[in-house]
Amino acid sequence: MDVPNRMAHCFVMESPKGRDRNEHPLLSVVVDDDESVRESLPDLLREFGFAARAFSSAEEFLSSGCLDETSCLILDIAMPGMTGPELQQDLKRRGQEIPIIFITGQRDETVRARVLKQGAAGFLLKPFSDTALLAAINTALQAT
Amino acid sequence: MDLQVKDPAVEIKRLQRCMNDLLSLVALPAIWSGNEPSQIIPIVLDALLGMLDLDFVYARFNDAADAGSPEILRVAASCRLTVPPSEISRTLRNWFKDEGQKLFPPVRNRLGDEDISLFPVPLGIHGEMGMIVAGSERTDFPSQTENLLLSVAANQATVGLHEAKLLTAQKQIAVDLDAQVVRSEERWRSVFENSAVGVALTDLNGRFIATNPVFQKMLGYAEDELQQLTLFEITHEEDVEQSRALIAELLAGKRQQFQIEKQYRRKDSGFVWAQNNVSIVPGTERVARFLMALSEDITQRKRSEEALARARSELAKVAQITSLGVLTASIAHEVNQPLSGIVTNASTCLRMLSANPPNIDGARETVRRTIRDGNRASDVITRLRALYSKKEPWPESMDLNEATREVTALSLSELQRSGVILRHEFADGLPPVVGDRIQLQQVILNLLRNAGDAMSTVHDRPRELLITTQPDGENEVRLSVKDAGVGFTPEAASKVFEAFYTTKSDGMGIGLSVSRSIIEAHQGRIWATSNDGPGCTFAFAIPCRPQGWADRETRINRADSSADAA
Repeated sequence: MDVPNRMAHCFVMESPKGRDRNEHPLLSVVVDDDESVRESLPDLLREFGFAARAFSSAEEFLSSGCLDETSCLILDIAMPGMTGPELQQDLKRRGQEIPIIFITGQRDETVRARVLKQGAAGFLLKPFSDTALLAAINTALQAT
Repeated sequence: MDLQVKDPAVEIKRLQRCMNDLLSLVALPAIWSGNEPSQIIPIVLDALLGMLDLDFVYARFNDAADAGSPEILRVAASCRLTVPPSEISRTLRNWFKDEGQKLFPPVRNRLGDEDISLFPVPLGIHGEMGMIVAGSERTDFPSQTENLLLSVAANQATVGLHEAKLLTAQKQIAVDLDAQVVRSEERWRSVFENSAVGVALTDLNGRFIATNPVFQKMLGYAEDELQQLTLFEITHEEDVEQSRALIAELLAGKRQQFQIEKQYRRKDSGFVWAQNNVSIVPGTERVARFLMALSEDITQRKRSEEALARARSELAKVAQITSLGVLTASIAHEVNQPLSGIVTNASTCLRMLSANPPNIDGARETVRRTIRDGNRASDVITRLRALYSKKEPWPESMDLNEATREVTALSLSELQRSGVILRHEFADGLPPVVGDRIQLQQVILNLLRNAGDAMSTVHDRPRELLITTQPDGENEVRLSVKDAGVGFTPEAASKVFEAFYTTKSDGMGIGLSVSRSIIEAHQGRIWATSNDGPGCTFAFAIPCRPQGWADRETRINRADSSADAA
């Protein structure tokens, strides 16, 4: 689901959604080989009210031990080593039903169609606005 | 012989008459000078008849023009023989046939019903030129003086016949010579007319003396029209100066000939390209020296060269655009990342500032990142602008290391995304190279991308890409790109530089073929070898100073070097 990025310029106050029943912040995980993404996204997620962690590769995430706590995964598509779609498959095989929002700089209809068919909760093109991201996360969490 | 003593007065008179007759005989050649033998003999015979008391006089002679031996018979008016002249001729003819050409003394013979004295006199020493026979009824024929006169007459006739023969031979030789000259003339004329190249002869001022059909057709002028023009008048303005200079050198003896490629203006105002060999032809006694130009129409070749150059340039542009397309995607990605960071950081900033209390430190940090990312995006654009600012292919002196670094900087992220580990070993003090920077960078980019692609399916070893530069020999510089990819099969090895050959499913395949064109245009060579280990190495070597690139006026070069070689 794509939210038009034009909404980026219109600032909408959102109440933080990133909390569970016990008011503990939900964990959002960012997996992207791009350093600036790992730098900037977690801060934004924290502003949304989530706890956030970032990993530079799918392998690093898998060996991090925080799979069970992850409420939402924001995942890059093209990465050296295991790619985003490959991680999606891997999590499925492990029985981990973590909602995934894919982020990518490349328009590729076939890839988009495939990952959505495989059950991705969202697909965003960089650069995406904060509102678009938030909407995607809300959708993802409501589905669970 | 007559031994009777005669009356002195009569004798004197007789001798005087004999002298006169001799003088007449001696004067005969003046009459028949230039005449044919068939005209000389009758003159002699008539003279004899007039001088001597004969009944007839007969001659048989060899006329060079006549295959047979003509006969002439003159019968005296006073002849009382009853035998008809034809009978006389026939008898004498038969007599000659029987007796051959033997000398014999005067004999008395039967002719019809009468007896006659016959006095044969040979023409020529052995009678090879013929025979005169004088005949008379008189028994005392011939007298001493008659004998003398007949002999002298025969001599004169012989001399006359000889001269006539000589004259005829001379005439024949003259005719033969003329024929030879004409044939020779015709042959040379034929060469001139039918030559496969244009031939033009001009005087020393360049005015056309003669031109052959090929030349006329090349220019669209008729021969007489050209004879009103000088070669300078129909030469393209650009080439006139050079033509004048080279011809001046010819005239001054500084060179024997020169070659030049030039354009002529046709009568119909179109232009033709001609390759001319011009030489100066030395004069003879009768003919002043002149200029000769062998002119070959190379318009077709020139047009093909131009078309080829244009096609190459188009192809290079396409390659540029294609790689630019890929580069654009690469650039878009390069720029997209900082942009993405800017949007995220700025959004975060606003939220932090709207928090209660505002998170100033956090906001400050996001602003710092935003500015940094903005600069990063700007850098990419600047690098790109620097790389593609020149439109004209222009040879310049450049450092191959620096040019390579620019290319790797632009494609670094693309390579990294493919998991490629890029290493480089640049030679220190690599000599500068004269070449087209953009084109060479295209080649390098092509090789890098190919190396990356070759390794895209490799998972069991590091995807190492090694770029090396080094001096090669005395005057060349070499750049190698070594990968650890899938390598190529022996079948592919020979085709890998061919246009449109590709093993990639989505590749256009013109990359390596255009690369080869570019390297060859730089007078270098490009090749690929399989590594000892996995993968292959693509390399090119180009001269530091390609020949002829320093001087853009290529036409003068050709004229000089070929003339000097001559």
